[in-house]
This record gives sequence, structure tokens and C-alpha cells, in this order.
Amino acid sequence: MDPARRLGPAQIDVFAQLGVSTVLLGGIYALIAVGLTLIFGIMRVVNFAHGEFLMLGMYLAFWAFTLLSLDPWFVLFVSIPLFFGLGLVTYVLIMKGVIHASHNVQIFTTVGLSTALQNLALVLWSGDFHTVRPWHASTPIRMAGTAFNLSQVVAFFIAIALTVLLVIFMRWTHTGRVMRATAQDRDAAILMGIDTDRVYRITFALGIAAVGAAGVLVSPLYAVYPTAGLQFVLVSYVVVVLGGLGDMIGALIGSLIVAAVEVAGSYFFGTAWKEIFYFVLFIAVLVFRPAGLFGQRGAENLGV
Amino acid sequence: MRRHIPLAVAVLALTLTAWLTGATWGQGLSGEYKLGVLEPLTGPLAGEGKRHLEGFEVVRDLINERGGVMGKKLVFVVADVPDPTAAASEANRLITRENVKIVTGTFSSRLCGAASEAAARHNVIYWETSCVDPRFSKRGLKNVYRTEIDATGFGWYNIDFIVKHLAPRFNLKPSELKIAFVSEDSSYGQGVTESAVARAKEVGLQVVAPVEYYNFQTINDMTPIIVKLKQLNPDVVHHIAYTNDAPLFWRQAREQNFMFKALVHAGATGYGGSDFGKAVGNDGNGVFALLEPGPGFKLDSLKPEGQKIEKDFRDAVQKRTGSYPLGAHQLAGGGLWLLKLVLDKSQSDDPEKFRAAVMSLDLPVGTMINGWGVKFSETGQNANERVQHYMLQWQNGQLVTVWPEEFTTNRAKWIPLGAWDQRK
Amino acid sequence: MTQALARHWGALVIFGLAALIPIVVRDAYFLDSLVLILLWGALSAAWNVAGGYAGQVSIGHAAFFGIGAYSAALLGTRWHQSPWLGMLVGVTLSLVAGGAIGYLSNRLKGPYFALSTIAFSQVLLIVASRWRAFTSGSEGIPVPFRPGFATLGLGHVAWVYLALSVALLYWGVQLWLEHSRFGYRLAGVREDEEAAQALGIPARRLKVIAVTTSAALTSVCGTLWAQYVGFVDPFYVFSVDLSVRFALNAIIGGMGTALGPFLGSILITSLETYLRATLSGLKSGFTGIYLIVYGVVLILVVRFVPEGLAGLATRLHARWVRANA
Repeated sequence: MDPARRLGPAQIDVFAQLGVSTVLLGGIYALIAVGLTLIFGIMRVVNFAHGEFLMLGMYLAFWAFTLLSLDPWFVLFVSIPLFFGLGLVTYVLIMKGVIHASHNVQIFTTVGLSTALQNLALVLWSGDFHTVRPWHASTPIRMAGTAFNLSQVVAFFIAIALTVLLVIFMRWTHTGRVMRATAQDRDAAILMGIDTDRVYRITFALGIAAVGAAGVLVSPLYAVYPTAGLQFVLVSYVVVVLGGLGDMIGALIGSLIVAAVEVAGSYFFGTAWKEIFYFVLFIAVLVFRPAGLFGQRGAENLGV
Repeated sequence: MRRHIPLAVAVLALTLTAWLTGATWGQGLSGEYKLGVLEPLTGPLAGEGKRHLEGFEVVRDLINERGGVMGKKLVFVVADVPDPTAAASEANRLITRENVKIVTGTFSSRLCGAASEAAARHNVIYWETSCVDPRFSKRGLKNVYRTEIDATGFGWYNIDFIVKHLAPRFNLKPSELKIAFVSEDSSYGQGVTESAVARAKEVGLQVVAPVEYYNFQTINDMTPIIVKLKQLNPDVVHHIAYTNDAPLFWRQAREQNFMFKALVHAGATGYGGSDFGKAVGNDGNGVFALLEPGPGFKLDSLKPEGQKIEKDFRDAVQKRTGSYPLGAHQLAGGGLWLLKLVLDKSQSDDPEKFRAAVMSLDLPVGTMINGWGVKFSETGQNANERVQHYMLQWQNGQLVTVWPEEFTTNRAKWIPLGAWDQRK
Repeated sequence: MTQALARHWGALVIFGLAALIPIVVRDAYFLDSLVLILLWGALSAAWNVAGGYAGQVSIGHAAFFGIGAYSAALLGTRWHQSPWLGMLVGVTLSLVAGGAIGYLSNRLKGPYFALSTIAFSQVLLIVASRWRAFTSGSEGIPVPFRPGFATLGLGHVAWVYLALSVALLYWGVQLWLEHSRFGYRLAGVREDEEAAQALGIPARRLKVIAVTTSAALTSVCGTLWAQYVGFVDPFYVFSVDLSVRFALNAIIGGMGTALGPFLGSILITSLETYLRATLSGLKSGFTGIYLIVYGVVLILVVRFVPEGLAGLATRLHARWVRANA
């Protein structure tokens, strides 16, 4: 009989631990999904290469750590402008030409980008698995019967901070408002004199900066290898859809929900089934509330 | 003009035909013997596939130093096979375009099935050096051979080790020993784990729970598994892991202070790969992995011919990669060396004569690379008892050979494991 | 008659060549490539029915492919039935699964629909790889080769003609969609669903029919593939990569055209086999290069030649006609 089914006083520690794991895992998913939410929400483009930019962020942290002995927390600050630039370049070279094209064109453009980037990493850096081991990666924190990792906690708080920053940016700055307007109605935005190309450029660059930073932050926690993005990319889509288009806070809450479903599912039914739970959740959300739990009803049809 | 379009299409068609026809490299220069090699060099298995190829190349050079095969220099035609369609397709290509009479490879259970089917349909010899799918040898294909034991062999050895070597040191009878199984979910993980579970039940170990499977490509957090296992309090954890999940489990087990007496793995990936040591350093002390021989392996425990070739093999790998041979090198190298022994005897790649030579080989443990012996069964499978496997243990950042004790100078330490951070 | 022939000269050339090649060429590798080109082409044509003609772009068609492959493999190895029976079972199951996807297509648009199809195929993957008792789990199912038509144990030449028959059939189905009333109404739904509905076209029903048909056609090829390659591995037959591949050939060749999927398959399959053969001999560090090329080609084609090769040919033809008017 599956021991998870027995409940009693000894279980309290267990649930506390699972709760902590959920929150921390949710933080990591939020970190990774925040960039995707932005791009999907404003540009209505599903960036299938999102996981590859995460992978590039992880490699950046790895090389900085191995060659220059730089801690990922330091590299984080460097990575944001670096990946912002990378996002700009990618947009101008690749995305700009297809932003007004049909969905299939956009889908396959990012799919092609994904394949190209994965194999570029493979050719340049080989398929070997690498690790980044700064002091904080092996520093367990034990509190009230639960245990977790310092790197995870920091990643969690940075995820929150990043989300909050982006929310402030989107809600209270001019550029943010302009971005939201463009998301709601591109044609009206153009008529209002908004340079939609600039909006998309910034959006994409911000999204890539976010995911690149995420890569740097998670590098002490997971192995670094060319297909490392695959681990997270599908979950990110679930989070984005669950949370609602372009809604940052929604993405954060969505991440926690997905993490909870995963952790609970793994514990009670076995980890091999964990993806089934969030895929089924995904399909359910798509069928019953495609705008996401926090998006406005009907929002999913705008600009699509 | 309308006429131009058919012309354009015709040109296109011809170009494509030219592509498909390709350059035929032919049977190579006289004095060379071409061997077809299939390995995944791109895709998720690329890391191990490339090491396999390296192992092949090292032994090929050793073979050529000793006069090659059948009086000719051994050369490879290598094909990248990232998935089953490619495996079948490339096998076809090597056989029909390159005219190879023997195809070898492929490292992974996903690929060896398709590749060997393709070879069998052309009546070409297929020499598998690594995949562990137990059904591989059960298809009644006369010209398909495997030099490595299959998944049931791995499970067999692991449980053997636990019962004969670990249980007594824990002061536990097998029926008192609690064992938990965790495994990555690919064909390798499932194959080895299920056979280990079966053997564990046969010998009477207490299997505390159904196997905890997970997908190594998407696993982000082992905490639910660890929390479950902590409550079950196993003595031994049998964990078949791939390269990225092994350090993850180990790190989180340490964080959660999950205590157990031993962890046992099998194979050249995960805990049996050098990446684990690089990832966790001395924190990894004490983990066992069933593998080909590692440092500490006593050369003089082998037969004289085995000593010579094993030493040359180790030196060559050391020279090329700067380290002791890894599992992938050893499987490929051992398999290729065995092929040479067969060809030395048959002096022909005719399937009938080849098979006769294969079946007639009967060499005891200690005769070859890795200390292997040879005895093929009718199904083309090298026997478990001859393909000697060894238990290695992580000691201070290195995987060293600790069992069977007659083969090594090292001894296993930290039995039982004791507290984390105290295994020095 | 000659009018029709002239209009379809492209198909005549391609299928004609495919029919003639096995008579002239006996090289097994060449024939093998031809079988794969025809099979991938047929799979893309099947995808095209939903994606190109009905406008429902799915990246989860591997779900149906896998159902077809597993049906044949399971019926063959567990109950020793002919793969033809397995094909029927696969088609039936795929019709049901296709119905589910069709339902989703009526509720979701664009990228949402695409994502839901991915989720669907991944759920099937997990079930297939974990249900060890039934499907042998991750270890997959080796499909034994037993010579004979009933067991689909054929030689290379026979496979070429079988694949060619399937390809011709699928090409015909697509042509029918271009010229039939059903097809016109479907095109209306594709171009502007609301307008079509306003005209009284039962858009939802048509979409479901298109998707379920597409599913069944894909499943048939899945069965054939399993018998041809001889090994069903859940991580391959249900993979997103495979789904993308089906769509890829159609897009590059020309979505919504009958010949497009086959043109795309010729180009992509040849490119892939050629690049892999040429580059894999290089120093092992460079083996990923052909995949980088692959990705870049995809980006370029999708951007600069979105109507695909077939559309490009039409465009050039029109330009010539104008220039010479």
C-alpha cells in the first residue's frame, strides 16, 4: 500500500515540507514564465525557443563561474542587459519579419530558432552535462522541520521582485501603458500613433532578459546541457495560460498552482505521472477558461 | 514562358536525385576493412554516444597496431543515429552504399532494435556493444549478437552485491533488509529496475514500495519522492539515474537529511558517470555503481593476454582523454576487441563462418579488456557470468573498483553510510 | 483529359518518377529514402487536411501517429493479429481522439489550439511509457519482421509501391477537398469562420470532420511506419518533434495545396538524409551542424516563402505569364 495514504500526526512535517517545496518550485516556474507571459501577452506569439534562452542563461552562468570564478548572483546583474541586447537582436533579425504573419509562420519560426539554438550549444559546448556549484548551492536551510536550499530561496525572492517590478512597469509607466494598449488592440494603437514596432521590440527584449536572468539563477540547481530548456518550457506554457494573458500576478499565482499540482501529484500518485496532472489541468483550463484564471473572459480572442 | 517551369521542376528533380544518389564511397582502398558504426551523435543521447565512439576509436587504433583484422587495416564508417527512424535508415545506408558487412553500435535500447532489424533484413552481421533491452536477443535473429549483458544481468549483479556484500556488513539477513527503488523512466531505467525488483523479491529482500519512476528530462524536484521514502525508512536505495537527475537527488536527499545505509546504481550514466563526481565532489562519497572496472583494478588478477590488452587500452584512453576509461569507453572498446577476436578466428565476414567462430569462442573471465571472458549462447548473447561486472564506489571524487575483492586493491568504505557530511 | 494532365503535371512528374524508380534502381538505400519520402509526404498530407484546408494548425498529430503505430504493434505482438487489423483498430481509436481534438478546435483559436494539441500528445506519451503491463512502457515494442503481405513484411520495392499508393490516395483526398462542395465550404470556414457561419455553413461540424479525417489518415501511416522501421518507442512516436515534422513538410511545400506536402517532404527528407550522411563523418564535435542548418532553413523558408514551394512555383508562373502577355 502506498505509504502516502496513511495520515496521522507524523504527516504534519511532511506537508510542511511539501508546502515549502511547492512555494520554492513555484518561484522558479514564475521566474521562467514571466518572460513568456510578457511575450505571449503583448505580442500574441508563442515563443517555442523560450527554453533555449533559459539554457543560454545557464551556460552564461556556467562559463562565468568556471572561467572567471564569478558567482551567479553577480552574473545576474550582467545577464539582464546582455540578454536584453540579445532579445533586441533576435527580434530585429528574426521576429520582426513575422510579427504580422500568420500563427503558423510564427510558431515555426520560433520552432526553427529552438532547434538551431539547441544544436548550436551542442556543437559549441558538447553534450556534456555541467554544473555550477557556488557555495550557496550546497547550503541547506532548515526551519521548523522543513529543509530547503539557499539558492532556491534567493531565486524565489528574485522571482517575486521581478514580477513586482514588471507589474509596476506595466501599470505605472508610460511605456508600460503603451505596451498594454498595443496588446489590447493593435490597430487602434497604430491609429493613436503608437510605434508598435518599438513596443514589440521592447517587449521581446524584456521577455528574453527575464528568461536569461532566470537561467542564471537556476544554474546552481539544475544541470547545464544543450537540451536543458526542455525541462521547463512546457510547464511555462501551462503557467502562462493558467495565469492569463500578459497578467504578471496571474503568472505568479499560476506558477504556484502548477507547482502545487506537481508536488501533490508526485507525492500521492508517483512522480512519473506528474506531467499528466498539469497537462490535464492545462486542457481543462483551455476548455473552460481559456482566458486563464485571472484574465478577462474573451481576452484570449483579442488579436488572435 | 510556360516551358521554363517544367524545366525548373526537372532541374529540381534531377538535383534531388543527385543528392539521394550521393557520392558512393565504395569499398575503400584495398588493404582496408570497413566497419559500420552507428552512434547517436546528436540529440539527447549525444553525450554518451560520443564517448562510445571514442572507445571504438581507441581500440580500433590498438587493433591496427596489432595488424588489423583479417590482414587489413580497420576503418570505420560512422553514422549519426539520433532516433529509431534514423537508426534503420542509416543502417540501410551503410549496408547498401558503403557495403559494410558488419554493423556495430548503438549504445541505446531505443536504437538497437530498429538498427538490428534493418541489418537482419539484409543478412548483415549486427554486433551490439551496449544496449540492454532484454528482448534484443529473443527475436531468433541468427546474425545479431550482443557483447554486453542485458538489463536482467545488471539487476542480477546489483542484488547479488547487496545480498552477499552489504547485508552481512549491516548485520541484516536478506529478509530483514528493506530496499526502495527509484528510477528514471526511460527504457534503460525501466529494464534494469524491473529486473532488479524481480530478483530482489526472489531472494527475499523487503521491497518497501512500488518503484518511484520519474522522467529524467522533466524532473525538477525530488522532494516528494524523498519525503515518501523517508517515511518508509529503507536500508538500501536502488536508484537508476541519468546524468542530470543523479546530482539533483543526491543534493536534495542531503538537504532533507534522508538517511539510508547504501545507494546502489548500475551503468555508465548518472552515478556511474564522471559528471556526478564533478557535480557533487566529495559529497558523493559512498555511492555504488555497477560498471566496467575502474581505478584500483588489479591487472595481475587477469590472465596474461588480458593484462596486456587492458593495460594498453587504459594507457591509450588516458593519453587521449586524460582520464581513466569511462563506462562508455569500456563497453565500446570491449565489444570491438571481442569482434576482433572473432574475426581472427573466422578470417571471414561471411555470416555462416562468422557465427561458427562466435559460438566456438570460450574464454574465461580475465582474458580481455575489462576482464571479460567470452561464451555466447545460441541467441547470440554473451553470458552473464563471462561479462564480469564490477561494483565501483565514489571515494574522494573518484570512482574506484571495490568488488569483487579479488580483482581490486581497494575496499569499500562507509558501510553503512552514516551521517551526511561525515563521510571522509 | 489532357487539360487535367497539364494542370497536374507536377504530380505526374513526382508520382511518375516514384513509380518508375524501383524498376530502374535497385539500390536499397535509395529505395529506403524513397519510401520515407512518400510516407512523410503522406503524413504531411494528412496533417494538411486539418492544418492547410481547415485552418486548424496542430502540433500534436504525433498522437494519432502513435495510436496507429501502437495498435499495430500491440495487436501483432500480444494477440498475433495482422497489422491490417491493427490499422483498423488504430483508425477507430484515432477517430475518437480526433473527435476530441475537433471539439477543442471549436473552442480554441490559433496558438491556444496548437498548445492544446501538444498537451494531448504528451498525455498519450506518458500513458504509453508508464503503462508497462500493457505497452511495455518505455522499453517500447519491437515489431518482428514476418515476410508476407498479411503481416506487412515486404521487400523494399513492394514498400515503395505501397507507400506510393497511400501517397496517391492522400493526394487525391486533398484534390477532392479543392474541388468539392465540402472543400469549398471548408475553405470558407478557414478564411473567415464568422462570415461562413453567417452564410449558413455548419462551421463547427465541418472542422470536426476535417480533424477526425486527418487523424484517421495519420493513424494509417503510423501503422505502416511501425511495420517498416520495426520498433515502436513511445518517446519517438508521440514526440513533439515528430508532430512538427508533419507540419513542416506541408508548410514548406505549400499549405492548402495537394502537392505541397510531397514537395516539402522531398526537400526536407533529402536535405536531412544528405546532411546527416555528409556531416556525421566529420569530427564528432560538428555533428550538430546539420540540425543548425535545418533550423535556419526553417526560419528562412517560413518567412520568405510562406506560401511554400508550390505557391512559389505558381507565383513565378504568374509572373512569367504577365511578362509575356
